[in-house]
Amino acid sequence: MQATKITIKSLAKSFITFRGKVDVLKSIDLTIEPGEFFVLLGPSGCGKSTLLNLLAGLEKPSGGELYFDQELVADAVGKFSGPFERDISMVFQSYALYPHMTVEENIAFPLTNLPQVPTSDVMRTKVKEAATLLQIDHLLDRKPAELSGGQRQRVAIGRAIVRNPKVCLMDEPLSNLDAKLRNEMRAHLKDLQKRLGVTTVYVTHDQLEAMTLGHRIAIMNNGVLQQVGTPVEIYRAPVNQFVARFIGSPTMNMLSGELNEEAGNLYLQADALKIRLPAETAGRLKARNLKKVTLGVRPERLYVKSEGEPDLALPVNVIENVGPEYLVYSFHQQGQIVVRTPDEPTGDRLDLSLDAGHLHLFDEQGARINL
Amino acid sequence: MTREEIIKSCLIFATGLFLMAFTLGPFIWMIWISLADRADFLVTGQVEYSLSNYRQVLTAHSLHFLDYLSNSLWISTITAIIVTLFSSMAAYAVSRMRFPGRSVVPLLILAMSMFPQISIVGYLFEMFSKAGLINSHMALILPYIAWTIPIALWINMSYFTQIPLDLDKAALVDGAGRMKVLYKIIFPLALPGIFSSALLVFIACFNEFLFAIMLTIDYTAQTLPVGIALFQGLHGEIPWGNLMAASAIASVPLVILTLIFQRYIVAGLMGGAVKG
Amino acid sequence: MASGNFLQQYEKGEARTAWIFIAPLLLVVGVFVLLPVLGTFYTSLFLDVSYLPEQFVGLRNYIDLLSSPDFWQALRFTLAYTVAAVTLEAFFGVMFALLLNEAFPGRGMLRVVILIPWAIPTIVSARTWQLIYEYTYGVMNYLVVNSGLVSERINWMGTEFGAFWALVFADVWKTTPFVVLILLAGLQAIPEDIYQQAKVDGAGLFRRFYKITLPLLMPVLVISLIFRTIDSLRMFDLVYVLTGGGPGGSTRTLSYLGFEAFANDNFGMGSTISVVTFIVAFFITLVYLRAGKFSEQLK
Repeated sequence: MQATKITIKSLAKSFITFRGKVDVLKSIDLTIEPGEFFVLLGPSGCGKSTLLNLLAGLEKPSGGELYFDQELVADAVGKFSGPFERDISMVFQSYALYPHMTVEENIAFPLTNLPQVPTSDVMRTKVKEAATLLQIDHLLDRKPAELSGGQRQRVAIGRAIVRNPKVCLMDEPLSNLDAKLRNEMRAHLKDLQKRLGVTTVYVTHDQLEAMTLGHRIAIMNNGVLQQVGTPVEIYRAPVNQFVARFIGSPTMNMLSGELNEEAGNLYLQADALKIRLPAETAGRLKARNLKKVTLGVRPERLYVKSEGEPDLALPVNVIENVGPEYLVYSFHQQGQIVVRTPDEPTGDRLDLSLDAGHLHLFDEQGARINL
Repeated sequence: MTREEIIKSCLIFATGLFLMAFTLGPFIWMIWISLADRADFLVTGQVEYSLSNYRQVLTAHSLHFLDYLSNSLWISTITAIIVTLFSSMAAYAVSRMRFPGRSVVPLLILAMSMFPQISIVGYLFEMFSKAGLINSHMALILPYIAWTIPIALWINMSYFTQIPLDLDKAALVDGAGRMKVLYKIIFPLALPGIFSSALLVFIACFNEFLFAIMLTIDYTAQTLPVGIALFQGLHGEIPWGNLMAASAIASVPLVILTLIFQRYIVAGLMGGAVKG
Repeated sequence: MASGNFLQQYEKGEARTAWIFIAPLLLVVGVFVLLPVLGTFYTSLFLDVSYLPEQFVGLRNYIDLLSSPDFWQALRFTLAYTVAAVTLEAFFGVMFALLLNEAFPGRGMLRVVILIPWAIPTIVSARTWQLIYEYTYGVMNYLVVNSGLVSERINWMGTEFGAFWALVFADVWKTTPFVVLILLAGLQAIPEDIYQQAKVDGAGLFRRFYKITLPLLMPVLVISLIFRTIDSLRMFDLVYVLTGGGPGGSTRTLSYLGFEAFANDNFGMGSTISVVTFIVAFFITLVYLRAGKFSEQLK
């Protein structure tokens, strides 16, 4: 089956109540390629679920247009196809299994709603196929209440794939599972999507899920798209402070302050902390003639320096051993600074050096400064 | 036992006894008289017990007791069925669909239930007289539907809102129409609530008096309360034995229904009262 | 993006389906409640008696009604009756609800027994009470005389005083269960650890009731009393069976007065009384709702 391309043009959504107007989505432009595993990432309330509901046909846009391949499925004026007409399927965070139906009836439910209801034999075969693929074929007679969380999850996925939809939408499908099961299902889901080749839009607030699952990720905040790109692109070059903080764990360290030139070196004075910037970075920064910047460094890109003059020195407040490595915390007026290091630091001071290739600089508006 | 516990136990015992006497007293009295051959035995001290009152009530055609009973059963049952259907459809729309006016409709309907029956019955009488409906089952069923549907709407709404909205979305995505979502998903899941609202509607109709006495004329449409209120002996003196036997037959089914389904009734009253 | 947006945000198909779902209910309520209410108001402006042609008289019926002693008597009776009945129901309701909230052997049975009066049709219970109040051989006179409370039998339905309290008792018996059920739900919502804490703090049984249970129960009590008051104000069936409005018209409720007018084919006056009954009930509900808000603020 030919996979479907989704084109989103200036899509907007606002709710109007007596208390006033709330803009949930502000003019989203996006293209999702056929067969792509596309992840919508953002904090709760950023509009990602609303966008998914708009794709699903569960909500009507207040502006813009939405195309599945060449076909207009929704606009603000009059065109609106319901979810079934769009031939999408959806997996919900709560799984939304029908509690009074068996697993078999749950998975078969979409088939019973087809314009031409297949014979019960055909239906049984299709349900069996989907169930086998998900390894739940031995549970078909059970009711959802008798299943474990992971099994319910699989039933929900089974129901979503049984009729070969054009597009599969997933709304935080893994967030109700415990950590171990979540990792397992994540891999399973990725494999399944690859095999079926169905265009998939996946909503999550978990950056790790987004990084591992998505071909591409769209990061949203306050109803606005922040950045769209592959996981690597976004990790390497976040377009603004919001994205930089949202992607990666532990969070990227951020230090804001004024730039000072002293004895040929360029320093960033972040409150009490004085940071010497690498010569390469300094050279390019000087050309820009900037006063205030925010410096972002990921915890693993702060290198412990045992000799020579450090680029910055931090007091050590807390050390956490997380197995293969150590996380060193240093408390600072602007929040905490985390350093990831394979060796346990000794002493109450940590001398660190910076690498020009792994520094992120942001201007006063929070936007990335491309050097 | 501490002093406080002793006081408490005594209070519980005394109140419990009082509650028993309070609630059961009149009921027992009703049954007692219905079994006695004469109602004045407290004075005369002479009495014999038998089921003859019941036999008379059930067999004497001139009393029309069975007509009243069947009128009541038919009218209450049909009303309960229609109210359940209409109110659950409306409750579904109001609790789960988006449309302009969704917050206004339930309040409007609630406001409608504030009108005392007396302020509609006069006009209904004129309306039904013109339509030739007076003294028909329809003359009671129609106003009963309108009169009980607000409470049914509120009870059903309180149950429907407890069902996760994701189930509707999932079913819509799976291709079910709104009507199918209602009867395939919501109805089975809210069955206890729907059942309790239907039960309350049935009981309300079974008990109703003002509409019944204004809009009916004789046993072809009169319900049990009217029959019992107008129950007259052949000789002027009220035939208490017969009357109490009729009362017992009229109330025992309801009492049994209530005792069996008390859980649903209590839940329904809560849904209608506390949330309403 | 103008003001049309408010309607535009709804999906037309969904909105249409929703209205189709609500239509039967609106139709029924519109035709059999709203229309009659408006019709009643309209009729109240007419001289509408069966033996004369209809004649528009404006507010004449209202003026006649307000200057008739029967109306004021009925209003006074309705209000007095409501106050007496609702007060007693609150008292017994709280008492029984407290009892049924305690753990003791037989509680389950009592919780079921309390529902019996509620389940019995009002007319049936009215007839039963009629027999209980019977002058010669009713059980009420048997009890009050034999227990020595009074020396002579009371003619319950023959005196204003007797008829009033006879009606109140019958109503209290029938409707207290409703109050009990709602209060019981309210009591069960009060967390047990508050009582434990109060015990630790040294509060005795009665103090715990007065200082904890009662204030926390207040909102629920107010709600149940609103319901009971609205019902009491429209009371009709008990009067119809027990007193027929007597003695001397002293126990006519507003509803009963309206019924009498309709029964005498005086539809204009009957409608007028109906409208006034509604207005009275409406204002009392408003007062209550104010009081309800007040008690919530206290909480």
